[in-house]
Amino acid sequence: MGKNKITFKLKNKLSELDTLCQKLEGFGESIGLSPKFIFETNLALDELFTNIISYGYNDKKVHLITVNISLQDNELLFSIEDDGIPFNPTEVDEPDLGCTIEECKIGGLGIHLAKNLMDEVCYQRCKDKNILTLKKNIAEPQPAKKRVKG
Amino acid sequence: MEIIEENHGGINIFKLNGRLDSNTSQGFEKKIFQAIDDGSKNMIIDFKDLDYISSAGLRVILKATKALKREEGKMMLCDMQDYVKEVFEIAGFDSFLPIVNSRDDALQRF
Repeated sequence: MGKNKITFKLKNKLSELDTLCQKLEGFGESIGLSPKFIFETNLALDELFTNIISYGYNDKKVHLITVNISLQDNELLFSIEDDGIPFNPTEVDEPDLGCTIEECKIGGLGIHLAKNLMDEVCYQRCKDKNILTLKKNIAEPQPAKKRVKG
Repeated sequence: MEIIEENHGGINIFKLNGRLDSNTSQGFEKKIFQAIDDGSKNMIIDFKDLDYISSAGLRVILKATKALKREEGKMMLCDMQDYVKEVFEIAGFDSFLPIVNSRDDALQRF
């Protein structure tokens, strides 16, 4: 079942967000993923990818970030691999969501979104690479999920 | 992303079309802050044709809302697709940003 898997590489440029979107839409449609799941998956990967290219590199060189996606039973499995500086996004402080507008800080929000949209986000540093592995259950109907706040 | 600017009785309306992400958010930030610099105090962002928003887009909306508040102005957000609204909810932004169903509802709040 080769079509249940996709691998692609993205350059460390923001314009690659469009490539990410196209790849996810193409793959999502081929496996019959609902627009809502495509949206949520796109957003989680966007936030993690944007973080990598914004903070992961100290040089001006072109780097490649490898994305693997596979469908196993009702679970989507993702991995994102980059050769940037060591960075574990799962350790970033959660934003204070109960704050007023004056107090509201934007830091950590992207990662908070990614964690909420995925069922699992794990990090490991392996052979000078950051490897993020994510899981998302796509069984329909989606169980009513209580949002983790605070 | 396409941004259509309209003016309705002194209220600036920005209609967003497409994807608001870290690739397009700078253009949106520039437009919205140009309007604030030009003296605009009341704004509506119409999300009807917006397909996608990431934290980069939320950041611009938060920054603009704070700037308008300092000028004693106001920003209303309207007509969001369900999954765009969900992003505001997960971020906790729905607790302090006024989100209404339609543009007419938004106009009535000024």
